[in-house]
Formats: sequence, C-alpha cells, structure tokens
Amino acid sequence: MIRAARRTGLVFFPAFDWAISPSHPEREERLLYTQDQVLEEGLLDIDGIVEYRVRPATYEDLRRVHFCVPDEAAVTTESHLISAGGCLVAADAVLNGEVESAFALVRPPGHHSRRVVHGNRGFCNINNEAVMIEYIRGKYGIKKIAIVDTDCHHGDGTQDIYWHDPNTLFISIHQDGRTLYPGSGFPDEAGGPNAQGFTVNIPLPPQTGEQGFLHVMDELVMPLLGKFEPEIVINSAGQDNHFNDPITNMNFSARGYATLNALLKPDIAVLEGGYAVENALPYVNVGIIMAMAGMDTSNVKEPNYDRDYQQQPPEITRNIEQIVVQLRDLFLESGLKTVPYEEGRIVERSRDVFYDTDGIHERQHEKIRCCQQCAGALAIASTSNLGQHILAVQIPVEACTACRQVGLAWFEEGTRGAFSHVYLQDRVRGVYECT
Amino acid sequence: MILGLDVGGTQTDAVVIDKGQVVVATKTPTGEDLLTTLRMALENTLRDVETARLNRMAFSTTMATNAIVQDRLEDTGMIVSAGPGIDPEWFAVGPSYHVVEGCLDHQGFEAKSLNRAAVMDAAARIQEEKIKVIGVTGKFSVRNPSHELLIADWVGSSFSHVAMGHRVSGVLNFPRRIVTTYLNAALHGLHKEFLSALVHILNEKGLSAPRYLLKPDGGTINLDKSIDSPASIAQSGPAASVMGALALDGCEGTTLILDVGGTTTDMSVVLNGTPLLKPHGIRLGPFQTLIRSLMTHSLGIGGDSEVRMEERGGLRIGPVRRGRPMAMGGPAPTPTDAMITLDLLKTGNRDSAKAAMEDVGKPLGWDAATTAQRVLKHLAETIAESAKAFIYGINSQPVYTIHEVLEDQKIEPTSVLIIGGAAPQIGGYIGKAFGLPHRFPHHHGVANAVGAAVARVTSEITLQADTERGSVIIPEANVEDKINPSFDIEQAVALGRELLFQQAVRSGAEEKGLEISITEKQVFNMIRGYSRTGKNIRLKMGIAPGPIPEWKRSHYE
Repeated sequence: MIRAARRTGLVFFPAFDWAISPSHPEREERLLYTQDQVLEEGLLDIDGIVEYRVRPATYEDLRRVHFCVPDEAAVTTESHLISAGGCLVAADAVLNGEVESAFALVRPPGHHSRRVVHGNRGFCNINNEAVMIEYIRGKYGIKKIAIVDTDCHHGDGTQDIYWHDPNTLFISIHQDGRTLYPGSGFPDEAGGPNAQGFTVNIPLPPQTGEQGFLHVMDELVMPLLGKFEPEIVINSAGQDNHFNDPITNMNFSARGYATLNALLKPDIAVLEGGYAVENALPYVNVGIIMAMAGMDTSNVKEPNYDRDYQQQPPEITRNIEQIVVQLRDLFLESGLKTVPYEEGRIVERSRDVFYDTDGIHERQHEKIRCCQQCAGALAIASTSNLGQHILAVQIPVEACTACRQVGLAWFEEGTRGAFSHVYLQDRVRGVYECT
Repeated sequence: MILGLDVGGTQTDAVVIDKGQVVVATKTPTGEDLLTTLRMALENTLRDVETARLNRMAFSTTMATNAIVQDRLEDTGMIVSAGPGIDPEWFAVGPSYHVVEGCLDHQGFEAKSLNRAAVMDAAARIQEEKIKVIGVTGKFSVRNPSHELLIADWVGSSFSHVAMGHRVSGVLNFPRRIVTTYLNAALHGLHKEFLSALVHILNEKGLSAPRYLLKPDGGTINLDKSIDSPASIAQSGPAASVMGALALDGCEGTTLILDVGGTTTDMSVVLNGTPLLKPHGIRLGPFQTLIRSLMTHSLGIGGDSEVRMEERGGLRIGPVRRGRPMAMGGPAPTPTDAMITLDLLKTGNRDSAKAAMEDVGKPLGWDAATTAQRVLKHLAETIAESAKAFIYGINSQPVYTIHEVLEDQKIEPTSVLIIGGAAPQIGGYIGKAFGLPHRFPHHHGVANAVGAAVARVTSEITLQADTERGSVIIPEANVEDKINPSFDIEQAVALGRELLFQQAVRSGAEEKGLEISITEKQVFNMIRGYSRTGKNIRLKMGIAPGPIPEWKRSHYE
C-alpha cells in the first residue's frame, strides 16, 4: 500500500450546489473535474491522507476579522460560511497534531475580501485565510504567522487585513498589477506605520514560467520566511498562474505548483482562484496534495504539457532576476526606508474601493494609532453608494492600554456621530459590538 | 420453499423457509474442503424436505475469500495504460504487470493514443510466462472504454480469459480498478470450477430451483451471471447476517445490528429497512477493491474470546481465542463460561465454567457469579464503545454540497438488534451498555442463513452523459452511445432505468415490483469562456439490498 511520507489532511468542499451566477467562473462544477482526478488517482486511499468533513463557520468567527455591512447575513451565504469553516477544520487537524499539514480545497475563495465588507469583490466575500488565522490565534495561542499568496491576482484583501500587523508576514506573488485585476501589489506597498516591511509584494511579468516562480521562491520567499521565523506558514494556493488559465497570462504548471509547494512546505494551504477547471485544476490539485503528502510528483503533468507548455523567454528571466535583486535589497538587506513614527501619533489615509462583482463603490477614511507595543488602534469610516455610512473600530489582539483607550474613545465618539452603524471589534476582551 | 446457506469460519448454517417460516435450521461444522462442507450441510438440511417444492436456493460461500487469503489465485497478467499522475508502477499486482503508453483525460478524451507495439510486447511477455488469463485496466476507462476494448481486441485471442476494468464498476478509482480487474481475472478459473462442482452436487441431489450467490453488498446474483465478476461474491458473510437480521425484524427506525459470534462481533446500521453501504469498495486481504459492500465493522471479541485479569486489576476480553470455552473442555475462560456460570446458558460442564470464573476473579476477591456478571458487563461495554467509534466514523464522512452540510444528517441508533447464538444471554447487558432498547429476533442463531435465503438481487449502474462530447456511457452495462446536444436529465433517468432493469433481470431479479433508487443525480453546465458548450449529467442508480418480494408478502402484508 502506498504511504504518505507526511500525514496530510484534506478538506474538500466543492459546493456542487452554489454559483455566483450560471456562467460565472466561480460556479458549481469548478471543482468537479478536480474531484474526478483526485478520486481516479486513488489519492484518498493513500495511507496518511485523511479527508475531513467541513463544518460552517459562525458569525463569531467572521467577527474576529471583518466588519460586515450592515451585518453578516447581508453579505454572506451559507457557502461562504462553509468555505471559511472548511479552513477552520483544516487548522484544527494540523494544530491538534492529527496531521502534519492540511489543504482546504474549498470554494468560494476569499483573498480579495478586506476588513470592511460591503459585498463581493473579485469573487470573494469572506477572507477565508484571515478568518482561519484569527481563529488559530484565539484557540491555539499562536502569534507569528506568515501567509504566502501564490494566486495570480494580488491578494489585496489579505494585505488590507494585515497591513498594520507586525506579527503577520504577508507575501504575495502575482502577475504585475499593471496588467491584471486588482491592479495593486507593488513593492512600495510594504505595510502600515506599525508594520513596515511586513507586507511584501512580488509582481511578476506576464509569461513567467516554472523557472521564474521557483527562482523567486528560492531567492526571496524562503529567505524572507527564514528571517521572519513564523510559527506557521499559510499558502493562499490560487491556481491561476497556470498556462491553461483563461483569465490570466502566466505560464506556470502543475509540476511547478507541486515543486513550489514542496519547497514552501506550508502548514495549511487554502485554495484561492484558478479557473481552468478542466485542464489545469485537476492536475494542479493532484500535484499539491501529493507534494504536501511528501510523495514523488515527477509523473504529474497536464496531458497537453508537452505540446503547450512554453519555456520562459530569456528577457522575462532577466526581468524577474532584476525584480528579485531589487526586492532582496528592500526586504532582506534593510534597504527599505522605514518612517520612524512617534508613539501615539495618528496616521490617516483615504482610498476608494470598487467591488467589481457587485458593482459597489466604497470610500474609506482610515486612522491608525502609531504604537511600538501593539498593532495599534484602528478606525475606518466607510461610505458606500448603497447608502451605508459606517465607522468600524478595531482594538487589535494584545493591544496596549493606550491603544485600547483610544479605540474605545473612537467608538464612543462614533456612536454620537451621524453614522448608520458603528462597530467595535475588541480583540482584547473578545467582543464585537454594533449599533 | 427457499433454501439458504451460509458458510462460516467454524459453522455452516442452513435454513429452509416455507411460506415465510423457518421450517428447518441446521448447523454443520465447516471442514477443510468447501464442497464437502456444502454437500454435508445440504444433506443435513434437506433430509426431510420435499425438495421438489424448492423454488429458490441461495448460498453465501467463502470460495473467493479463501482463495485470496490462502494465496491460491491463478497467475494473471496485467496490461495497464495510465498516462500522467501517480506512477502506475506503484500499483503493480500479480506476477506479470505491464504499463503501456496511452492516456485518456477525465472527460474521456484521448490525450495520447494507445501504443500497439507496447501492448503486443506486453502480451508476448505474459505468454512467455505461460500465463493464461489477463486483466486490462485503463485510467479513466469508465469515461471511455476504448483503450481497454482495443487491448482486448488486439491480444484477447491469445488468452483463455480477459477481464476488463470498465466492467467492474462505474466508480472512479484507478488503483482499485486495477486490483479488482486483477482479482476478477485471477479468480475466473477457480470460480468456474467451483460453480461446476456446486452445480454437479445440486443436480445429483435433484435440486433444480434457481440458484443464487450472496454478495458483500447484501444482494444476490444468479449463479451463471456471477462468472463475469467472481470477486464480487467474496466476503459475503457479514452481509448474510445483516440481511437476516433485517428480514427477521424489519428494522424500522435507525437500528444498530450486532452479530455476536464466537471470535468476532460484527456491527452494521440499517436506516428504516435499508442497510448502509460503504462509500468505497470492500477490502479483501491486502486488496482494496471497488466491490460494493455493506458498511460493517468487525470487532475481535466474541463468546469464545479469552478472558483474563490484567495485573492492574482490569478485565480484558480478546482479541485472542484460545479454543472452546472451559465448560466444553477448552483451555481458557471465555464469556460463554460466564453465561454458563450464571445459568443463562445450559450447556457444557457448569462446574468447569464456575471454576474458570473464580480463577479470573480471585485477585480481586470476586466470587464466580460476580466475576461472570462483570465479564458480561465488560463485554457489552467494549462492544458499545467500539460501536460508538463506528457510528462516529460514519458521521464524519465528508459531504460535498451546501444542502448536505446544512441538513447535517447524523446517524443515531434508536435501538439495538442482536443476532448470533448468544443473543438472549447477552441482550440485557448490551441494552444497558448502550442505554438503548434492545431485542433479538426469532431464529437469531441462523439469521445469516435466512439472510442468504431471502436477499434480493442488487444491481447498480453509473451513467455519465457529456453533451459536448456527444456521448453517454454506462460502463457496468457495457453501453456507450451517441447523444444529441438536447439530451437531458429526464432522458438520462429513463435510459438508466431501462438498462438497470435489464441488468437486474439478467442477474436473476424478479421483474415485478423492482424498486429502483437514484442515489446520485447531478447536472452541470460546461462552459468555455462565458458561453455554455454542453451539459455534464451524472447519475447513480441501483436496486438497494432488501428481502425478496415473496418474503415481504408473507411478513409485512
């Protein structure tokens, strides 16, 4: 009997009865062919690969991360709760020591969901990884966590959620934002005042192939992880860098994904995007599961690989090498110019957020208290063209007394203001309030 | 009148049922030779029976299981085509296993054509080893059997038998398909021999009624048809017990069935008269197969298990069986000795039983009766604990739709039904350990033979239609047809019904009142870019295990 070298948990939730709309890429059969391939390969019979049953996440789980406007019921469906819940099952399996690593093959995805949620952006409503991470922090007392987002699209939602958190290293490898949704994810986006250098964006040119991705892993991602020393590593395992993907321009492969995974050895991987449902996902997912289980993946490839896979052009290789040199300088050799913010200073920024799926325009004004002791009190005033005008206040995990007081004061003040709703997420007391 | 016979490890049980009543029940020791045992059991059972009135005979045998366990399988060559994925060499089975070039994708499209020279070479090498039977298996052959058919066509005439993977089951699982194909090929000759010897015995005794064999899914198949898939009748014993319990009781609600035997206790669950099936196939010795089976769990303790006192003062029962109970001259104390001590069972030498119990209880100063009670209580509690884990496992099975997650259907037994010789003796203890109402049916000692006797024919098909590819395929029925783009779910259900009906009748099912159930029904749009290019329809239909109409008529109406 075939045995996995590493015990691996698999949470498979294809949601065969849910779609954004009938012809939307995020539709019922997205994981159908993946399931076919996984079953036909006999992966679930392998000793050491354990399949788990999903459970829905609760609103309480979401409230450790999100401010849902006006409330959770309005912006989520059962499918979002189950998808996030699948990640919690994966986390429990790993942190209880039942398996060494786990893969949550769930949909819908989540990495475009930000802290404030008015609706669906980039196929996402709820940030599955963030909901999982904050669950892990609450239940297992783990502090330092790294997220490596290998989806082809910049993980802007995850970046937003961890922008101010120095205990979370967020690394996103993606197709250059000048050529693809959501249009962000440049090296100068490196974290907020309290977490400078803890967000690392690695934009890669279209046509990046196996060689380029693996170069980035070896020269940049692995050293960054070595420097940060996270207690656990999460992989946002989008699969749309694939050469068969219909909505991106990259040139990655199933074998490449498997090798990347074997290098990264994430504790938990979570499926993100990837819409070549017939000719990429089945092979990529088989490759990732086998790699996580420590199995030989050299025979895993797409049936059209030999015919259609193209080597990375030399000019792209040179381009990637330059990007790597530049980013190594910034993030590994202290080249990043950090701004020394004075303790207690309030830094503000404003921005517009567009929800492409739901057509919502949001205007945000954000305040963060600069702090050396904690992630800082955070307040976001948000107005949407649906008529909402809300204030969301976060007191982060292990907040210092000063930040707690500032957060509570902002909330108090907000309740007397002209907002339609005022929210308080107090991670110190573990309460969530909404007026 | 029906004859039912179940060959067990130590005993062979047989019954004759007339108008829904068990009129003869016998137990014959199981000997070394299966056919001799069958002959003796038939003689014991039919001595005073008017055999001309028999209209059905069903057998649950150990032929295939024994051949596998005793390593008597015929040398079998395997020709396998796979393509990318897990290295197919990892699934090597049998003395002459060959992987040939050729690849189909998950939709059944050919990604690489079959290499004819490689196939011919593999066949030549198998022949060189003087091997006469082969198995042919392709990855995704249930989506498109063409590569398997081609191999059979090219080299089949060089062998006495060719077993093909797509005929085994429509379920996707390449490694299990390889193994099951191998077993079907390797058991073919043995099975054929066994059938002809059995038929010879039956004819000799003038027994001409229709003949059936029991399968591990609790269904039967007629003797002649079973030659297509000899592995599918292996390990039918646990199914015989479940079907017997179900037939004798009806099993309304959620019933946990316990078959407390000499060395093992088998458990299973019946939901409102329908037994639960395993999600994957049965395991036969070292082989994980695609053979459908009832969901059963076997715990290694029973009435003849050894009882001893651990050094720290805890009772321990099994998993070892040293021999017969001490009351019958055996070497070690057993739960049966406890039953005899408490006068629950009037057999053997009660003084020996008492002495055995006293000996066990001595370190703690318990007398024989106290020890005996504690032994039976411990036996029942161990079974209850194992049953709890069994049910937990069933309830932890993954689900794949929102509907199922929200419904969150959990199995929770509402009663315990006990069968096996010791059911009345152990019943009270079991009921208490489970905290549930318990009962045991009349004829609980030969429930397994009753199960074989009255189990109806089961059958199943897997249909996949792909309107983009323009084909519908039902591998179990050997059907692959062209379809129009307008082919829909109603047409698929109608086609499935018709073919399942035909297949069931061929396997010996009674045409009247055939109950077909749809166990899976899914329709997916297939989309390229933003437009629909076709529909992917998936159906699983089957005839669930249950008692034959004749039994139902005499019992439930």
